[in-house]
Amino acid sequence: MFLNMKLLSHHGLNGFGGMGEGMSMQLARDGRRILWLAHESAPKNFTAVDVSDPRAPKVVVQTDLPHAQMRSNSLEVAGDLMAVAYQVTKFGLKPAGFELFDVSVPEAPRSISFFDASGPHSRGCHQLWFVDGKTVHMACADPEQKPRNPKDDQVYRVVDVSTPAKPRAVGRWHLPGTMEGDDAPPPERLPGKFDAGFRAHNTNVYPQRPDRCYLGYIDGGIMVLDISDQSRPKLVSRWTNSPPYNGFNHTVLPLFERGLIVVSDESVKDNAGDWPKLVWILDGRDERHLVSIGTLPMPPVDAFKSRGGRYGAHNLHENPPVPGAWKSENIVLGTFFNGGVRAYDLSDPYSPREIAYFVPQAPEGSKIGAVQINDVFVDDRGIVFTVDRHNGGLYALEMKV
Amino acid sequence: MIPDGRTPVFVVTGFLGSGKTTLLNRLVASPGFADSMVVVNEFGEVPVDHHLLEASEEKTVALPNGCLCCHLRGDLEETLIGAAMRRRRGEIAGFDRVIVETSGLADPGPVAQTLYADRALERDFKLGPIVTVVDAADTGKRNLGMEIAKSQIAAADVIVLSKTDRSQDFSEVENEIRALNPHARCIPARFGDVDPGLLEKSGIEKSGTDHVFSAVAHHDGGIHTFVLQFEDPPRKNLLERFLALLVELRGADLLRVKGIVALDGGEHVAVQGVRHVFDRLRPIANRPSTGLVFITQNMAERDVQALWRAMSVLKGAS
Repeated sequence: MFLNMKLLSHHGLNGFGGMGEGMSMQLARDGRRILWLAHESAPKNFTAVDVSDPRAPKVVVQTDLPHAQMRSNSLEVAGDLMAVAYQVTKFGLKPAGFELFDVSVPEAPRSISFFDASGPHSRGCHQLWFVDGKTVHMACADPEQKPRNPKDDQVYRVVDVSTPAKPRAVGRWHLPGTMEGDDAPPPERLPGKFDAGFRAHNTNVYPQRPDRCYLGYIDGGIMVLDISDQSRPKLVSRWTNSPPYNGFNHTVLPLFERGLIVVSDESVKDNAGDWPKLVWILDGRDERHLVSIGTLPMPPVDAFKSRGGRYGAHNLHENPPVPGAWKSENIVLGTFFNGGVRAYDLSDPYSPREIAYFVPQAPEGSKIGAVQINDVFVDDRGIVFTVDRHNGGLYALEMKV
Repeated sequence: MIPDGRTPVFVVTGFLGSGKTTLLNRLVASPGFADSMVVVNEFGEVPVDHHLLEASEEKTVALPNGCLCCHLRGDLEETLIGAAMRRRRGEIAGFDRVIVETSGLADPGPVAQTLYADRALERDFKLGPIVTVVDAADTGKRNLGMEIAKSQIAAADVIVLSKTDRSQDFSEVENEIRALNPHARCIPARFGDVDPGLLEKSGIEKSGTDHVFSAVAHHDGGIHTFVLQFEDPPRKNLLERFLALLVELRGADLLRVKGIVALDGGEHVAVQGVRHVFDRLRPIANRPSTGLVFITQNMAERDVQALWRAMSVLKGAS
């Protein structure tokens, strides 16, 4: 299925095509464009792909995890430094935290340091944001804290890596009421089948507002945090849609020039079992009072829910403030699992329009009979890179709008 | 940049036996046009060979003001809206372009009107180039249906001069075309072998100003072609009122109006109209102003100029 998007190439990543939500482009010193990709699950850790010619991508390196009870899922490259998240499947396992690599020679990533966040109540780091080469903002457990509910382990954490060999924890924030010792009462949880936890997911910080973190907090909604003092983040505002919706707020993308904030949910149940999972448009002109003004017009759920696997919103192209990345205040791209990758025109934020999409066929060997498009990254040539969560690997697309 | 993801609708028209289907088959066989959906008026003697093919019956009605217009929610609208719905639901693979082949005796105007007038349709579709196929070797057939043939040529963005292998000298037919529509790009072709890229670049949003909007006035029989230039960038609402008044007074005689106009606020807008139906003024980026090209019947340039001048002078009173 396509509209205004054309497939340039598809790479199965050597048979390890189950990809997470870490996609980051390095403009290598020798002029190559290297796309670094985090795998969704073991055995692979990350894969680097030379996409200088998007019609002929080439794998330059692919690495293994130390064991199968962990996954990387998320990574970011800033210059020649790469941070890779490590999340474990059981509390207390190691390694849990993140690892820093020197990737100046993409074929030979060299480990520089490891930030340990393991502990009896920790599953480590699920997602991180690292765009300035100095600071990692992440969704990660803090071993010093004990969550009242084990699902609430991953909080917003700030780590100074300006000395890459010695990462240093700087600050943290969590939703009051979720940790032992909090004065606030525990938050009211969503019904059991939708209770995914009050914990951090995406932790975006942009140079336009270095004093703000735009935080997705799963069942807790989204937050704008004042991080002018990174050791003591403070809540500016919070917006939530659940209940009555079914939680799992994921990404918060500010469009600074437009006064808009785009928020994606994540669908986490097959056959749209947690529908509706949408992308929301907020009026963010007054950051203290966020107002929902609409959602992106996705295809009808009845046409997609039975195609196999998940259908609903997930990741967005986040306008990462790094060289080589495409930035737009008008066009937002998102991934929708079996709904593929889709682009929307927000010129009129009250009436967003779908302007392009691509839904690959079910990858060869798919057990569910459908693609599960998981993440998207657009480079400054306008090439759209997107990945499948199960086994499809990497797709490079040309967007024709 | 203002993104526009709407799907362009190319209209391929031409008199009976001019070679429309031959052109169509060559186009959809080219890699650049493989992602097209084809809509034919009827399944003719020469089949169209394409995986995404729809048939749509032309139903035109004469309105009291003398305009031919597609039936409200006619077959073409239903075909296009249905195709967009099936594409959105993933029931068909997809298409990035629609090519509508009209019947040989059809005025292409109503198809263009359909795309301007139907708000549901314009959400997913926009008018692409109108391509008129003209048989270089046979003026006789056209003479039998002169009014329709003239309308087809007048409406064109692109004229494909077909069957040029059968004639050494086609200056006569070229003169015939230029007299009716000096603004259209004219492409000679043998067996439909047209560079698809030339068609892609021929819509109002893509074409250059070098030949398409040359400021030449012509008068052939009752057909007038001319360009209305604006001394000063007009106010948007004045331009809208001017067009509305023209439509009210003589809509039936506006065979085609198009152009890019710089407004007084610095914004550029695309203007497109066929007879009494005009598209809304759409912002367009990075394009020079061209003035407004008029192809009219029984309506002289001086009268249109006079109306604009009068409205410009009186604008202070509005």
